[in-house]
Amino acid sequence: MRARLSLYWFTVPALLVIGLFFIHPILLTWNMSLTNFAGIGEAKDVGWRNYERIFTRDRYLQEIWLTLWYTVIVVSALTVTGLFFAAMLHRLPLIRNFSRAALYTPAMMSFVVVGYIWQFLYSPLNGGINVALRDLGLGAWEQNWLGDPALALYSVAFTQIWMFTGFTCAIFLAGFAGIPEEIGEAGRLEGATSWQRFRYLELPLLGPSITVSVMLTTIGTLKTFELPFILTKGGPDGATRLLSIDIIDNLFGQYKFGFASALSIVMLVIVLVVAFLQNKVLRDRENA
Amino acid sequence: MIRNLSAVTLTAVLMASTAGAQTVLDVVAWKGNEAEPAGLPELIEKFEAANPDIEVDLTYVARKDVDKVIPPRLQGGNPPDVTMVDSSLVDLWGGAGFLNDLGTGSAWYDRMVPAVREVMTTDGEIRVFPLEVIGMGNFVNMDLMAKAGIDKAPVTLDELKAACQALAAQGIAPMIFAGGFPAMLFVGANGIDPNGVSPAEYGSGERTFVEDENFNAALDGVRDLVAAECFDPELQAGLDPWATAPQEFRSGNVAILPQGAWNIGNFSSVEGLTFQFAPMPSRYTDKGLALDLVGPGWAIPRDAEHAEAARKWVDFFAEEENLTVFLKAEGAYSPYTGGVSTMPDLAAPYTQARAEGSLILWPFSTLEFPKALQSEWEDSITGFLLNIDKPNEDTLQRWDDTVEDSM
Repeated sequence: MRARLSLYWFTVPALLVIGLFFIHPILLTWNMSLTNFAGIGEAKDVGWRNYERIFTRDRYLQEIWLTLWYTVIVVSALTVTGLFFAAMLHRLPLIRNFSRAALYTPAMMSFVVVGYIWQFLYSPLNGGINVALRDLGLGAWEQNWLGDPALALYSVAFTQIWMFTGFTCAIFLAGFAGIPEEIGEAGRLEGATSWQRFRYLELPLLGPSITVSVMLTTIGTLKTFELPFILTKGGPDGATRLLSIDIIDNLFGQYKFGFASALSIVMLVIVLVVAFLQNKVLRDRENA
Repeated sequence: MIRNLSAVTLTAVLMASTAGAQTVLDVVAWKGNEAEPAGLPELIEKFEAANPDIEVDLTYVARKDVDKVIPPRLQGGNPPDVTMVDSSLVDLWGGAGFLNDLGTGSAWYDRMVPAVREVMTTDGEIRVFPLEVIGMGNFVNMDLMAKAGIDKAPVTLDELKAACQALAAQGIAPMIFAGGFPAMLFVGANGIDPNGVSPAEYGSGERTFVEDENFNAALDGVRDLVAAECFDPELQAGLDPWATAPQEFRSGNVAILPQGAWNIGNFSSVEGLTFQFAPMPSRYTDKGLALDLVGPGWAIPRDAEHAEAARKWVDFFAEEENLTVFLKAEGAYSPYTGGVSTMPDLAAPYTQARAEGSLILWPFSTLEFPKALQSEWEDSITGFLLNIDKPNEDTLQRWDDTVEDSM
């Protein structure tokens, strides 16, 4: 019994690191969120005023909704495309390694580089996509990709999906590698088609990979900042203004550190709640 | 042999003690690097020659990083001896008591352009030595204008509209009017009367935008430009004003670009691009309105270790011949009266408007408009361009709400 208890002492260094570098900053942020701190000088206590402002203004509720909707789009698309490419490459071993590397390349690029390249591709004035559509005789499909509020969020989401499809594909390929070959062979002997083998044999066995992929992409997307910032800076007229963009704007654009801290706490709570619910649903599904 | 050794040792000791007595002046700036030297390498060399006991250690910190790098040093009591600041930093750091008062008794304070002096002086204190005033107006591609039969950069609204129609008739894209920044310049130039209401009245909530005749007329003026085929508002509303828009002008795809004079160097490097920098057409003047942005300056932190040497650095820049080097490299105007013009000939229309007194100080650079209003202008004007038929009230009320929030 004493030996088992003494094992817990080994967790102390890890707990200290977590306490010092994770819990302590969160507590400091919480503390700052109840002040009007401007990043320098004295911080005056303002009670719940920052939170009251967040939950009584349409602007911030809209940002929270936009952040959640953006996450739904990106995570759904990343899961489907990643799964599609992984299933294809699993069946095409000759090109698997090359294609996996090619698909993963965008994820290794800097957000800034990707952002600026896509900004020029999306440009309504001689942008690559519109010029290509025009040259292909599809001029009627030309769009103001980042300038139209109805389209801008989807254009930004598409860039993020393009960037990280290789990431989810790699997770699913690892999942496919963990499925015993005998199962596929048994399916073939039973006369199952490729689609049936995927749907009824491989997909259920990919449960843990789906859980990992969805969790990682959800948390990453909820915190997304770089691409919307570089591509649209939250515009046009707030159409892509996610919570993270407003946090940075309040911090270094307006020096409202207290208010930005309150927004960060709200964001943290959203991430925690979503991650908890998602984890529960996906784990229950795996165990069902 | 021993005598030689002693002499060498004595010389070394003397050199070491001399080096030890030298003051290392810690200067932080977001200019002076390879991309934007601003004449600082040349000026540092000259300063060190004039002050052999001071060695300047210039640290380049990008403007966006200054907010993270300098406050901990200010609060920790080990700030740089001199730091570059803009008006928002003067307000923030100075307001918290971290910047020294440079004193209103100096000669350079008396020479400061009265409008700049007025907005930079707080409670009888001046905490910054302003280095430059940067023009904002229209870049005009004169080759494209010539194709439309025009040989002069437009400086009145009628000239601008006529130019747009002539350019559009030739199949040339007349104007970039992105909601983010270029449109703001036009709206500001047509909403702020240089001889009328002070911008500070709007910024303080004393006067509302929504009931203001000038700003209502400014938005109507945008509609007039659309009617004159200057631009397609929906197409340009969300255009990136900092990357895509200048690139279009560089490429010769568009005739007129509202932007800041800091682009002069960038555009001048394009072979075959003939352009002028002109004041913004405004309903208040037939000379065009120069929009002057009050640029950065030097400040001495309260706890600067070498405050005396820092003062010498500031005084060095106050000498006209030294400041001229900086201004010439920057493509900027002096915030002090007198002095020689350092602007290139291609900026002659803008310089002329300034000389004739047709100018305003950009209220976002003087903090007469609250900082939060800038992003609201960007957003709401973009929204206005996306639906140009909606009532002005929808846009202007948002500005009033932001001002109210900032108080």
